[in-house]
Amino acid sequence: MNARFTPSRQEDLSLITGKGHFTADHNYPGMLHAYVIRSMHAHAHIKHLNLEAVRAYPGVRWVVSADDLKALGAGTIVNPITAKGKGGEEQALALMPILAEGTVRFVGQPIAMVFADSALCAQDAAELAEIDYEVLETSVDPEQTTLPTAVQLHGNAPRNVSVHFASGDAEPVNAAFAKASFTSQLRVLSQRLMGVPMEPRAVVAIHDAVSGITTVHTPHQGILGMRNFLALASGAKPESLRIDANDVGGSFGLRGGPYSEHAALVLAARHLGCAVSWVGSRSEIFLSDWHGRALILNGEIALDNEGHILAIRFKDRVDAGAYNCMMSTFIGTRNLSITMGGVYQIPALYMESEVVYTNTTPVSAYRGAGRPDIAYAIERLVDFAAHEHGFDPVALRRKNFIAESAFPYKTANGSTIDTCLSEKLLDRAMALSHYATFEERRAQSLSQGKFRGIGLSTFLEASGAGTAPKDQAWGEFNVNGYLYVYGVTGPSGQGHSTSFASIIEKALGWPADRVRYEAGNANQKLLGNGTGGSRSLYGAGSAILAMCHQMLETIQPHAAKTLGVDLAEVHFENGVWLANGSTTTTAQIIDALPNEDKTTLHALGEATSGSTYPNGCHIAEVEIDPTTGETHLIHYYAVDDLGQVISPQLVRGQVHGGVVQGWGQAFCEQVVYDNQGQLLTGSFMDYAMPRAGCVPHLTNETYEVRTQLNLLGSKGVGESGCTGSLPALANAVMSALRPYGINQMDMPFTAPKIWAALQKAKA
Amino acid sequence: MSHISLNINGNDHTLEVEDRALLADVLRDNLKLTGTHVGCDTSQCGCCTVLMDGDAVKSCTVLAVQANGAQITTIEGLAKGANLHPIQVAFSNCHALQCGFCTPGMIMATAGLLANNPKPTDAQIHEGLAGNLCRCTGYINIVESVKQAAKVMQEKQA
Repeated sequence: MNARFTPSRQEDLSLITGKGHFTADHNYPGMLHAYVIRSMHAHAHIKHLNLEAVRAYPGVRWVVSADDLKALGAGTIVNPITAKGKGGEEQALALMPILAEGTVRFVGQPIAMVFADSALCAQDAAELAEIDYEVLETSVDPEQTTLPTAVQLHGNAPRNVSVHFASGDAEPVNAAFAKASFTSQLRVLSQRLMGVPMEPRAVVAIHDAVSGITTVHTPHQGILGMRNFLALASGAKPESLRIDANDVGGSFGLRGGPYSEHAALVLAARHLGCAVSWVGSRSEIFLSDWHGRALILNGEIALDNEGHILAIRFKDRVDAGAYNCMMSTFIGTRNLSITMGGVYQIPALYMESEVVYTNTTPVSAYRGAGRPDIAYAIERLVDFAAHEHGFDPVALRRKNFIAESAFPYKTANGSTIDTCLSEKLLDRAMALSHYATFEERRAQSLSQGKFRGIGLSTFLEASGAGTAPKDQAWGEFNVNGYLYVYGVTGPSGQGHSTSFASIIEKALGWPADRVRYEAGNANQKLLGNGTGGSRSLYGAGSAILAMCHQMLETIQPHAAKTLGVDLAEVHFENGVWLANGSTTTTAQIIDALPNEDKTTLHALGEATSGSTYPNGCHIAEVEIDPTTGETHLIHYYAVDDLGQVISPQLVRGQVHGGVVQGWGQAFCEQVVYDNQGQLLTGSFMDYAMPRAGCVPHLTNETYEVRTQLNLLGSKGVGESGCTGSLPALANAVMSALRPYGINQMDMPFTAPKIWAALQKAKA
Repeated sequence: MSHISLNINGNDHTLEVEDRALLADVLRDNLKLTGTHVGCDTSQCGCCTVLMDGDAVKSCTVLAVQANGAQITTIEGLAKGANLHPIQVAFSNCHALQCGFCTPGMIMATAGLLANNPKPTDAQIHEGLAGNLCRCTGYINIVESVKQAAKVMQEKQA
């Protein structure tokens, strides 16, 4: 059997045989191991820090606190994107030091680091650290943190506000509300989550004194982002850093830039002249990986008497945690505003958001980074308004979809959506889910004492525009008969190698199994974006397609020679070279070339690709047992327009993963702090995760509408699963509970919460 | 320090280990069998699952000294030479892995499950994998691959 076994992805063979190569698997001779001493208080002054006993512990080689690293050039954690306030004010920024400088502002904030002969030795020694804290008041609740009674975290941010942002025009929105026949208001919470890639965050750094280059093994989302941000955080020159990761055990937005450990280990490797390793324990990860979501979204909708949406406005609260780290501003401003009208043609849109500080772990991107949250808020609001004012929720949506004739459609606050055929996707999803006969199933459930509900979402999201000016890909044939392709975006489970090889097979007529993709080869000076915002396939994929087009021109003279014709007479069509009725293939041409000619065949491709608008219709059907409050997801249906699909199996896998992450947020996951800022959900014992069987039946289809916004025609799939599922699942739960007088509840819809709400409604 | 003997993937090893050393760390650090992954510190994620005398155990929750004299099978020892185990083949066939970090533990947990229950129902698969976390796949294809592997293993035995 195995002689015939072909893995379904290029990536699989090493991963199913235990030969994957993750960061913690590196083990250099003489490598030292680091342990981080973290704050046990959410807000405190460090009055005295005594590390002498730690230094004296046998096996300890180096112990550092903030001053030591600053003396070696350390900077701060990066906040790459800022926003202006609604009156043009500068944003107040509170940048996180690599190690705490005098004050700690969240539990888990790094204070000092110990480097020792073994990880256990470093941990044992760290126990001897003496830290004298002056404990301060804490501010943990993102709504109360702006009150005058709340303790101020940073001297430069009055009311704990980093920026008060606005988008759209308030006047027409106010006018629309004034003349509306119906209005509804709904506040929803997109609760704070953990990203939880299964590979814990880890860093291994080794410095080569001869070349002056420090190699950093770490899970990342693209070498350029990590390298340039790590240069800022560590003070090292970007060209003196080489970022490497063979396998990355998940990223989900958390791994676009460095954390304290990255910067400290670069400086340690240089200072100590040996390899250094830090592998986070899951407990540390819960404290110190950037958290996700943490958004409060207050929506209002105005309708005329026929149900046309006249305006939507939002007032949002964005919990940045204790510092501005990485993407919280981007999430709380750009991502909450650009698709705030959803799939609807709405004449007036306005939103304000306040990005605020609390004594909690900093928040950054987690799968979707504000897009699932705003889609959730809109689709809950539309559903809520329909029921409040007696409209059918499907009919109300249909009435307000952006008309096909209106594309490209410019929204009232300035986004331009190229295409979004919601009507067609809704029709298909309703047919798949037997939506029309739902009431029969509801009655059947009720006869067995169960409350059944159906919920739908029609949604769109804006995929990542990217921060690099363009994406580049380099391809070259080698003497062994492989096409090597180099790019910037690094995979963390998405299957880049497999999808890129499929693009090449189609465009170049070269077998996919003889393509090797490598991200971030240090010898390649390529530009490009990392993985993020669902953009790798269409961003890097478009560059690879462009590379193929260049490569065809390079191969053409050889094709002409093979077919014995003039250059102008040969052309490439449907994967084969044609001339005067005879044909040959790219593989035949390359394989017949002498080795020295093969290596002359290379090409650079580049493409500029901005945001696209993946969209879809998802429908969920649930059944609630009122005696326990437990919700059972009966079936989930997803119809997605992702543009051109390259690898159907991988697309299905991405939707599965996204939907189940959405299920996690909807039904079990939440980060909980007590009012002193202690993390109560600090391990998998306390932080509930989706497990096998939580989504037992999922049917997903794609409805492909090519986009003209990039060469490949694809829109990206990474985030659509959780974007569609939050509102579909929530609307389904509300559909089941509405007959019993419950119209709104915040996620997660845990059994005790639903049970208690039903008891209260009965009383 | 303690002196222990382990049979790992058919090979005998004698080792000096700290009394507090965990089997997972000894496999990874002393024996360089890095296919066994450590994904948590509370015995919840199952990334470190190995077979100990035929039973699936979480090697982060077994002291190396407790394994003294045991036969251990890790992900590296599941294939017979170049012939992959049907569970490994099924995981790839069904696209049951994305990042692959949880995969060794999932495969070893499946091996333990199918050894005890060659024809599990869906509910039994869900229960059998309740101690293994995956963040990428949503488990849907993992459950499929367990079913496919069970079928292939049954056919082989018949």
